Amino acid sequence: MVRKAMLIDESKCTACRGCQVACKQWNDLGGWGYSKTTNVGSYENPPRLSPQTWTRIKFSEYEGANGFRWLFLKEGCMHCGDPACVHVCPTKALTQQADGRVTMNPDLCNGCGYCSQFCPFGIPKLEVSGVFTGMAKAFKCTFCQDRTDNGLIPSCVKTCPAQALFWGDRDSLIAAGKKRVGALRARGFSAANLYGENLVGGLGRLYVLIEKAEAYGLPADPKYPALSTAWKDIVQPLGKIALGGTILGTLVAWLVIRRKIKMEEVE
Amino acid sequence: MTNHWVDLKNADVIMIDGSNAAENHPASMTWINKAKEERNAKVIVVDPRFTRTASQADLYVSIRSGTDIPFFGGMMKYIMDKGLYHKEYVVHYTNAANLIVPEFKGPADLDGLFSGFVDEDGDGFGVYDRKTWNYQTDAQGNPLRDETLQNPRCVLQIMKRHYARYTLERVSSITGSPQDKLEAAYKLYASTGAREKTGTILYAMGQTQHTVGSQNVRCMAMIQLLLGNMGRPGGGVNALRGESNVQGSTDQGVLAHLVTGYISIPSAAAHPNLSAYIEKETPKTSYWSNKPKFLVSMLKAWWGDHAAKENDFAYDYLPKVESPANHYWIKLFEDMYAGKIQGLWLLGQNPAVSGPNSKLEREALKKLKWMVVQEIFDTETCSFWRAPGVSPADIKTEVFILPAADAMEKEGSISTSGRLIQWRPKVAEAPGEALPDHQILNLVALKLKELYASDPGPFADPILHLNWDYGKEMEVEKVAREVNGYALAEIKDDKGTVLVNKGDTLKTFAVLQADGTTACGNWIYAGYFALADDGTGKMLPATKRRGQKDPGGLGTYPFWAFAWPANRRIIYNRCSADPNGKPWSEDKKLIWWDEAQKKWVGYDVPDFVPTKAPTDPGGKDPFIMRVDGKGGLFAPLNEGPLPEHYEPAETPVAKNPFSSRMHNPVIKIWTTDKGKAIGDNWGKIDKFPIVATTYRVVEHWQAGGMSRWLDWLTECQPQMFVEMSKELAGEKKIQNGEQVKVTSARGEITAVAIVTARFKPFKVDGKTVHQIGMPWHFGWGGLATGDTANDLTPHVGDGNTTIPEYKAFLVDIRKA
Amino acid sequence: MNGQEKTGGHVFQIRWIPKYTFVERLLHWVHTISFLPLVVTGLVLYVDALRPLTQGEAGLWMRLVHRLFALLFIGEPLLYGILQPRRLWMHMKEFSLERDDLDWLKNAFPYYVLGKHGAMPPQGRFNTGEKMNGMVMILTWILFVVSGVIMWFGKGIVSADLFRWMVLVHDLTMIAAVCMFVAHLFLAVAHPLMWAALVSMRFGVTSAAYASEHHAKWYYGPKRAKELYEAKKKMVSTEG
Repeated sequence: MVRKAMLIDESKCTACRGCQVACKQWNDLGGWGYSKTTNVGSYENPPRLSPQTWTRIKFSEYEGANGFRWLFLKEGCMHCGDPACVHVCPTKALTQQADGRVTMNPDLCNGCGYCSQFCPFGIPKLEVSGVFTGMAKAFKCTFCQDRTDNGLIPSCVKTCPAQALFWGDRDSLIAAGKKRVGALRARGFSAANLYGENLVGGLGRLYVLIEKAEAYGLPADPKYPALSTAWKDIVQPLGKIALGGTILGTLVAWLVIRRKIKMEEVE
Repeated sequence: MTNHWVDLKNADVIMIDGSNAAENHPASMTWINKAKEERNAKVIVVDPRFTRTASQADLYVSIRSGTDIPFFGGMMKYIMDKGLYHKEYVVHYTNAANLIVPEFKGPADLDGLFSGFVDEDGDGFGVYDRKTWNYQTDAQGNPLRDETLQNPRCVLQIMKRHYARYTLERVSSITGSPQDKLEAAYKLYASTGAREKTGTILYAMGQTQHTVGSQNVRCMAMIQLLLGNMGRPGGGVNALRGESNVQGSTDQGVLAHLVTGYISIPSAAAHPNLSAYIEKETPKTSYWSNKPKFLVSMLKAWWGDHAAKENDFAYDYLPKVESPANHYWIKLFEDMYAGKIQGLWLLGQNPAVSGPNSKLEREALKKLKWMVVQEIFDTETCSFWRAPGVSPADIKTEVFILPAADAMEKEGSISTSGRLIQWRPKVAEAPGEALPDHQILNLVALKLKELYASDPGPFADPILHLNWDYGKEMEVEKVAREVNGYALAEIKDDKGTVLVNKGDTLKTFAVLQADGTTACGNWIYAGYFALADDGTGKMLPATKRRGQKDPGGLGTYPFWAFAWPANRRIIYNRCSADPNGKPWSEDKKLIWWDEAQKKWVGYDVPDFVPTKAPTDPGGKDPFIMRVDGKGGLFAPLNEGPLPEHYEPAETPVAKNPFSSRMHNPVIKIWTTDKGKAIGDNWGKIDKFPIVATTYRVVEHWQAGGMSRWLDWLTECQPQMFVEMSKELAGEKKIQNGEQVKVTSARGEITAVAIVTARFKPFKVDGKTVHQIGMPWHFGWGGLATGDTANDLTPHVGDGNTTIPEYKAFLVDIRKA
Repeated sequence: MNGQEKTGGHVFQIRWIPKYTFVERLLHWVHTISFLPLVVTGLVLYVDALRPLTQGEAGLWMRLVHRLFALLFIGEPLLYGILQPRRLWMHMKEFSLERDDLDWLKNAFPYYVLGKHGAMPPQGRFNTGEKMNGMVMILTWILFVVSGVIMWFGKGIVSADLFRWMVLVHDLTMIAAVCMFVAHLFLAVAHPLMWAALVSMRFGVTSAAYASEHHAKWYYGPKRAKELYEAKKKMVSTEG
């Protein structure tokens, strides 16, 4: 199946927050009543992703080689090609669909929170009902799975009034993104680049940026966490072998011992 | 707008001055981006503050609030000095060649004034007698012209002398913008003077909400005429209207000086009867010569059979004014404050937050005997009587709140900035007892008729005889048809051909009659509700069409809804062809003269007599609403025929570099209760050294009535804030995010400080002048609360419209 | 216990001596009943076939039960430390390794699996294997508690990197502890030579005969035990 992706052209984004609100409207998420945001000296609100904020705009005032820029970044789940969250999720609530979308089934989620800690971007957020009991559920952008499952485009893409968001086949979007980067460079945006083509197995959320990634608060070189590989692909399988081996070994030992060691009563 | 939204994609340069389009008209970015992507268009943003729109600019120019005329004046000097104006266009389509009477003198000669200034009380403010601003005319009254543009009395030469003072140095000094930036902007925008290029200017309240607001707009019109951008794809003077249907409201004559279709309201003194009005107000030339047809048709629509030739078509029923200025906002609230007004009826308006000098205006509300508010939330105005610090026991006003349905909960049409009238269905149910505004007014009208029927008093006829047959449950489409117009009798042309049958819904205002055989609520809307083809053969009321065809690819989409007038998408589009009727360029050809068919053809409805050839008399006069058919470079308004720089009413500078006249000489400075805690107080630089401006942000809407009660929007922008430069914050030891107090001569507010690189101090006349800015959305109600910026703004307005000077005043700031 | 059994002719005597105190035994069993549910509730994350128990409501319950028993698991040695700190410290010192333990290790497989009943170096109250078990218990307890508490309360407080390490540590610790447990369980209930161990952990007493042979340093004291061992070794080597 063809891999789908979202292309976010940050050269066109004007931080209108249409996407931020459209996401909340479609997914029935809470706003100020939940987060009680205050202005801490910025337009940026809420201050981070949360169980009720699955996408938001980050604002960066940046003084670069090309002068002052006010950079905007639409933050959200990257839908990695190599999704650590899926690999560490014990319940399969997080799944990588055939078309690449990393979707979430909240009914299956047991609130363990491994996804939130293994994600190289720190995206999934836990709604914790009790720290002691551990009752929680994880939430993140699902590329509007109920819409995209039914041939519709994500709510944010539909809303964007600057037409800065695109949804479609990943290969086409990469080509379009590269073309756009070329056009931007020709216009004088010498640092323009396409972010996400090959990172972490190739991101499902691609960005056209006009400055380097770090200027936006994006990690320049995010990696699939080595500890996820260590844990899930090495320790766990070896552990299973060790446990199984121990049980088997003990069984064998018992069979041997039964024959070799006899207890007798002694006068 | 003279053009329309989609047309922005056809521009080669887009100049945005006095508008934060990306925030306040986000959808405009689609078309601006198309222009950038498809034709490599460049965007210039002029704004004291680096906004979200500025983030999209190729060139950002920062000027101090209130110095647009120097900026534009400098641009005009640059264009004229370097000969970058579109010569052929300027000669034939504007009044540049017209000669002005020799008695005319301008500010260069009269130290800041034009000839004809009358100041009776010597206070520095007065009015102009305009007779020295007239054209020289021949015996027939036609203007004398010098098409070589050399005659010293011709408009172009007068302009050159007038703007000679607007040197790059002076402009840089007064705006605080570096010379190289200014020059770069001038050069880039002037490039649209080339024959095949066009540029568009987008503006909004940043231009209009000044004491010189009208003259700011005049500058833009003049520049567009000089560069040959009017009436062409990707050109025009484009106002981004401040409300979603304010275009509709001004179209329908809601402003105090108008009736529908931009026809002036009659004056009690000047127009005692219909013939007096027609005589005085109908020009001999231009399309306005048809004004009587429009007015009479409107009277027929409103009073039906009770409007007849015998009673001047019920002219006496139409309210007259002494002066429209009596009913403009500031005057209204001053009268209210003085206790002269008994009752106030508000429809979706929150003056407690949006009015200038809002502390005074909130006091004014307390003087009312009664107030009715049609609203969707319990705003600061609805509850002014129990605002924090107000004791209801002290308030005598009887307040009625009528819950109203919001935009999605009623059907009807909305007119965009681009004059596009789009019909929208109802898609949601209003909660509880909330009713659409039109239904509330319907019930009121029916009740008034009932009450006046039983107790008429001295003159109840205007109400009793008012045509009001829309049903108990108002049928909006009946109103639409009336606004559109219909024939009351068969209408024939002068050859005897039947144009319309009795009862037909009119397709065009061209068939309107002054003899009472047509009824039309609003002549510019004629045709909007008539059945029309959506491009696929399907017939439906024009405004409901959603046809996708775009012949020519310029984005005119003639089958999508209806644009007034007559579905013209770009007005003055005769200008899109040269004087011989050929398009200026192939890729921007809109209409052109077809010699074979002997008519104008193309991708838009010609804004011209369709069969008038370029060689016919008037064949080169595109501005059909103007008496001489030429674009007005020189055009009288209250403070003069040419824009001249005057400082805002509260200014940080000691002298005006262009003359010794500091302020617009025709404005009114109010001084009610001067010196009192609440009053019309004025600040000077000694106490208030910082320039302040107010603006909107994308997350909130106007006075907050539609956004501060909403959970998701509040979360994005929860509190009142004020933006300032790092330098100013450093001086005042203000940290980002901490509370600050902002004070003006009228009040004091507290807000969160946003310390940002997007404001920089200005170097004005060698001295540092700081500027800060704040949104005016906030009040004490709802979820997103905060102090009201308008507690700081003054009661002073533009010299023509009296729109308040919200955009430039003086404050001081300190840590809270 | 002490006494005689009449079983039709044979008379065999067992002299019981106290080995483990009430608190020691209590600790052991509380540890057991906290450890086992912890393993089971944790194991559902490990074994694919048990995945339905990780999901949704069931999953939330598993995690809640894990935390409840974790409280017990964390609390019991802490409580011991609060109530009898000196005894706990002495207890932990008993697990320290000596020279004899190395020799014991060399001989453990032939002795315990193959039944080669040669002379084993003298053992204290805990033989080498039991010492190793004890050390592993203490070490895994520390690792479980530290990694578990961080995983429980640390999200958003510690770095994501540290959290990931804690998950790995918790997993590795589990593997070590469960493997140890499997051996421990086998030895406790199935190994013929270790019969006294379960009795002693249940009732607190062990047979004197058993103790004299298997825990000579404790029964006789280190000096005497060593003499007996040297003598026995000579005997075994001469007997061939």
